[in-house]
Amino acid sequence: MFLPKSSLLVLLCLCSTLALFAQQNLSGHIKDAVNGRPIPGVTIRIPNTNKGAISDASGAFTLAVPAGTPSIQVSYTGYKTVTLKLTPATTVLNISLEEDFARLDEVVVTGLATNVKRSNLANAVATISGRELNGVAPAQTFDAALSGKVPGALITANSGAPGGGFSVKMRGITSIFGNSQPLYVVDGVFFNNSSIPAGLNDVSGAATAGNPNNQDNPSSRIADLNPEDIENIEILKGASAAAMYGAKAAAGVIIITTKKGKSGKTKVSVNQELGFVKVRHLMGVRQFTAETAADLAGSADNTDPAVQARRNAYKAQFNTAQSAGKIYDYEKEMYGETGQVLNTGLSISGGGDKTTFYLSGNRRQEEGIVKNTGYFNNSVRLNIDHKISDRISLGVTTNYINSSSDRGLTNNDNNGVTYGVALSSTPDFVDLHPNALGEYPRNPFAASNPLETRDKMRNNEQTNRFVGGANLDIRLQQNDRSTTRFIGRGGVDYYNYKTAALFPRDLQFEENGQQGHSIQGNTNNLNTNLGGFFANTFTPNDKISLTSTAGATLETGYMDNILTVATNLVSGQSNLDASANTTTHQFRQKYRDNGLFIQEDLSLIDAITLSAGVRFDRSTNNGDYKKYYIFPKGSFSWNIAKMKFWNIAGVENLKIRAAYGQSGNVPPYSSKFTGMLGSNIGGYPGVLVDNLQGNPAIKPERQAEFETGLDISILSGRVSLEATYYNKNIYDVLLRHSLPGSTGYASEWKNSGNLKNQGIELGLTLVPVNTSNFKWSSTINWWMNRSKVTKLLIPPYAIGAFGNSLGTFYLEEGQPATQIKGIVGSDLKLIGNAEPKFQMSFFNELTIYKNFSFRFLMHWKKGGDNINLTQLLTDAGATSFDFDDMIHGTKAGVYRPNAGDASIYVQDASYLRIREIGLYYNVPLKNTNIIKGIRVGISANNFFTWTKYVGYDPEVSNFGSNTITTAQSRGSNGLSTGVDVTPFPASKRASFHVGIDL
Amino acid sequence: MINLKSLYMNKYFAAFIILLSFSACQKGEINSLNTPVVGGITANPTRSDLFNLVTGAESGMRNNIAAYLDGTGVIGREVYRFSGAEPRYTTDLLGGGTKRLDNNTFYITNPWASRYQVIRQCFILLDAIKNTRTAIASDAQKKAFTGFAKTLIGYQLLLNINMTDSNGARIPVPNGATLGPVITDPGVVMDSVLKFLDDGKADLTGSEVMFPLSDGFLGFKDAAGLLKFNRALAARVYTYRKNWAGALTALNESFFDLNGTLTTGVYHSFSTNGGDLANTMYLAPNGNGEVRVAHPSFVNNIVAGDDRINKTSLRTSSASQGGLTGDRDLTIWNSLNSPISIIRNEELILIYAEAKIQTGSFPDAIVALNRIRTAHNLAPYTGAITTAALITELLYNRRYSLFMEGHRWIDVRRYGLLGTLPKDRPDDDVWARYPLPQNESNI
Repeated sequence: MFLPKSSLLVLLCLCSTLALFAQQNLSGHIKDAVNGRPIPGVTIRIPNTNKGAISDASGAFTLAVPAGTPSIQVSYTGYKTVTLKLTPATTVLNISLEEDFARLDEVVVTGLATNVKRSNLANAVATISGRELNGVAPAQTFDAALSGKVPGALITANSGAPGGGFSVKMRGITSIFGNSQPLYVVDGVFFNNSSIPAGLNDVSGAATAGNPNNQDNPSSRIADLNPEDIENIEILKGASAAAMYGAKAAAGVIIITTKKGKSGKTKVSVNQELGFVKVRHLMGVRQFTAETAADLAGSADNTDPAVQARRNAYKAQFNTAQSAGKIYDYEKEMYGETGQVLNTGLSISGGGDKTTFYLSGNRRQEEGIVKNTGYFNNSVRLNIDHKISDRISLGVTTNYINSSSDRGLTNNDNNGVTYGVALSSTPDFVDLHPNALGEYPRNPFAASNPLETRDKMRNNEQTNRFVGGANLDIRLQQNDRSTTRFIGRGGVDYYNYKTAALFPRDLQFEENGQQGHSIQGNTNNLNTNLGGFFANTFTPNDKISLTSTAGATLETGYMDNILTVATNLVSGQSNLDASANTTTHQFRQKYRDNGLFIQEDLSLIDAITLSAGVRFDRSTNNGDYKKYYIFPKGSFSWNIAKMKFWNIAGVENLKIRAAYGQSGNVPPYSSKFTGMLGSNIGGYPGVLVDNLQGNPAIKPERQAEFETGLDISILSGRVSLEATYYNKNIYDVLLRHSLPGSTGYASEWKNSGNLKNQGIELGLTLVPVNTSNFKWSSTINWWMNRSKVTKLLIPPYAIGAFGNSLGTFYLEEGQPATQIKGIVGSDLKLIGNAEPKFQMSFFNELTIYKNFSFRFLMHWKKGGDNINLTQLLTDAGATSFDFDDMIHGTKAGVYRPNAGDASIYVQDASYLRIREIGLYYNVPLKNTNIIKGIRVGISANNFFTWTKYVGYDPEVSNFGSNTITTAQSRGSNGLSTGVDVTPFPASKRASFHVGIDL
Repeated sequence: MINLKSLYMNKYFAAFIILLSFSACQKGEINSLNTPVVGGITANPTRSDLFNLVTGAESGMRNNIAAYLDGTGVIGREVYRFSGAEPRYTTDLLGGGTKRLDNNTFYITNPWASRYQVIRQCFILLDAIKNTRTAIASDAQKKAFTGFAKTLIGYQLLLNINMTDSNGARIPVPNGATLGPVITDPGVVMDSVLKFLDDGKADLTGSEVMFPLSDGFLGFKDAAGLLKFNRALAARVYTYRKNWAGALTALNESFFDLNGTLTTGVYHSFSTNGGDLANTMYLAPNGNGEVRVAHPSFVNNIVAGDDRINKTSLRTSSASQGGLTGDRDLTIWNSLNSPISIIRNEELILIYAEAKIQTGSFPDAIVALNRIRTAHNLAPYTGAITTAALITELLYNRRYSLFMEGHRWIDVRRYGLLGTLPKDRPDDDVWARYPLPQNESNI
């Protein structure tokens, strides 16, 4: 009786010891193959499980694996993944990792829930690491940091005003009235990037005469995002890659992943930046003489005695000013301030086996190059990843941002009050400075005294924003042949955007006008997105893998903008009710988009991938809100170097690829209605028909993109070339079909044409030198795009600028969409093209003696014209710096505006810039117990520019790039970047950096 | 084993997707959140809807009126418009250098569009009236709405053909109808204006007004008053058509009163109150940057003692731009709340005088001219009693009485006297008409 029990016991003990022995303890060190430095943070993982370990600061790791595990996988970003076979006897593994220069093992997102290694990728997806984004010479805002780093994109700053505002056009013109800017997705949350006007039009009158598009120069909302938090960015450039994101992704998707915690010792990192910002380039002002001062009143041979009297008066005024030493360069006074830049960041990351976190805070405070302008951005982020169980993991990201920007008053105007327009007619011999009592003289040459306007006005935009998202990953089923997962993703983006502009009643132009303006806007915007996907990976053997994904997405948006303009203010007050008149406008927007998709990805022998998918999309913005529109996609890639027959040593990656995809672009909100706008008289409320006729049958635009390319890497990845050709066709382009004015409408919404973009992108990555003491890696990108209007169902027409006599964009069948036409003599002629001939970027990183790192990014844009109306205004105001130069026997400033030749003001905006340059030093530490690392560095951003363009900067857009349409003014369209009308000048910055890791 | 699992998975898939799509399609259409829409307001209008449409039409008549008055005033050499932000008032409009009037620039496209926009509004009002139930408005009340709408259509069309003249205009068509061709005979277009005015008169006769109008219509807010307004406009058009008998008949049905107040009439009213428009023709005197100064010929050609010189005032220092100088600000409007006249008794008296001159009734004409002269501090007329001399006298009085009300350029053009307008700079031009807006070639 006893024996069986005790033998059971013995058996149990034996078994448990066997169980003990069934664990294998591995340990070792991981180091870089070339310079031997230990690599911390490397993931050592048991394949197909969630079990693994991370190497510590000295590169050491320990991992207990179940006995019989055949291999472990070692991977780290930027290095080639290594799979090592294990024997039961293995205990110590010292591993050298080779740098993956061609980044073949990098994992890239290809669908909403799938990803693939770059070596098998069928599209040209650009990735920017956090270090490339922010680690050379940090820019003021996230969108500024993208400049020059995205091959295939034309990134143009709208102005130099603090707070961002950039147009990012990927692969040419995607749409004119639909969405032409990419979708930003941050950790799965759709991040809103609308620019909302502050209602400054009531003061500047810009959108009243020649062009009803908004010209308030609002800031951008993507600028709220703190670049320090970003781990990496993936850019899907067109429908062939982005089709799974649906209609919002017609102009590409920028997928941003923020930093997440890693288990192990908690890391604390503090970074401080201290720098200055100055104007990049001043145009210069005319140096007056007594004679030219007199000419401002009329010519010397004018017989009118009043004119002669005036001439003498100006001459006398000039002589007095000159002898008193009171000749002023007002451009320098306005734009020549040196602003201080302070940026402090703290991040803490760590965690254990089940939970990891990343907490960061950042405070950026910058003054601008104009007094009373600046940018202030505070951001707090907490990302937590938690493994609820072996099968379920949850990631939560939360971010709170408070940002405030003061942007001055610039750009176009019809009332003579913006800084640039007032300066354009003010000569150097008039004294605009305040007296001892703080009273400003009245400017006799313009409707405003720009120094007074600058000192007394306020234009502030403040944002309080909360962005949060959650990502749930459940492994429903797993066996050795298939894995099924459910992925749920949700996100919320809420912001309150408050604009407050104050123009006190004692300003020159308010005194005799409306007696003060207080314009306050309050916008609440809420975007949500929700998605649920099932993904099943079926791997019958190691040669075939089939992933099927199906899912549904839902996005909603609601925006409520209330703008109140109060005039005739109580002295010294800014509250809206401390006034004699108030006018309030409200504008609301709402949408609901949902979609279903299915995608199949087949991978054969790890060398051939085939993918096909289809998406069904509908939106309440379409004429028929119930109708689902169908968008297919497919792709193919063949990595010839991975085939068994490939035996050319030295060429380790040779891939041909092709991809096709379709995407839609929804019509703008309310384009199916003909609205009636408020128009009151005599105290009675009235409605007046809008001049934009709605179209109840409006359909979304459809984009079909075909992309093909070749990737090669040779010499163990030290030379890699990625070459891509794309052809992007856009059908049913939404245009505001210009109607004859005699219909009572200016335009109607109509799907009226086709657009095509073709281009080439070449990327060459080189590592010319790679020794333990000196490493030089270089990335050269070259890209070009050509657009064409392939079909236009409506007559050709001008769009986007100020009329034929000043040069305007012109849509015409068979011509580039970006052509600029204007009146020369008496004919409408082709006078320019806003599309660059090509762009090139050159990024180099040199690591010297392991601790010094020198990095710089150069960017060359060749071709691409601007319409320089700043020069027209300074010519008309007689203050252009080259006014007195002679052209054809007349002064330049008189010749140019009267030549009847619009091409004079359409000017080449090519440039070569050293965008970013930085030198960093890792201070070598002996005792690394408390302080793990200290970095110091200096950097300069946009400090060196070579261009023939005479304006403030070749990158400019009077109309903004993502401004929404409100009841007061039309939003920006996809074409008109490059119109230069007295903008806020661009700035250059230089900083000193210190960073400490604890 | 796998088959079973995938069947199970499929059920799971299907269920989830159906669930998601089901929940998403419950919520329905999202309507226009911000404004009423045309389809909605014309379907079954309430009384407030109809009043809102009328107010919108009256208010819309003021849009871009400044561009019309500035343009006709600059070309007609009544005023210089200096602007720091808009150089084309001194380049294009005066033909400076090689500059010409461009067919795609604000000075023609903006006022052109605004006038046709009001016309479209009036057709929307006509459609709404067709769908109005009798409980909302009786037949007599409906006719007041339609009569007012048709009157405004005629008036707005007149302003546009004044600008383009033989470059033509299109006759307005109701909502949904096909647009007609550009009619390049101004006479034909003006006959169409008269037809709209006559249709308006027919509707207004015996109608009952229930809708509100601003105080620009003070004294003319009832059916009888609107009828007089309609006939006053018709008198102006008959004059342009040289139909002198028609002009006199229309005058008798209008508010013409030879001995009445010169300022009686219908005006655009303005206000700086929230939601309303301010009068942008008003600029504070002695301003810089944005300036309206009388053309030097205004004071050079005025007869000594004529009190119409007080429509301008001497500046403290003269204003210049582009080689032009002026030293008299306009004082016709003295605040942002000042009204702008549409048609007033002083013009009707001058129409009466012109009709009488052209039909040879010189004594009646001289009585009318003297009414104007004595009202402005001048002695009675003692010049020659011939058609030519009296027309010269008439044109002098029209020039100064209706200064900057949009008349001089048109009067000078219809009498073939454009060549007499001064050219201040050697390369300047006197334009006879605006080009047809470029967008008229879009169909």
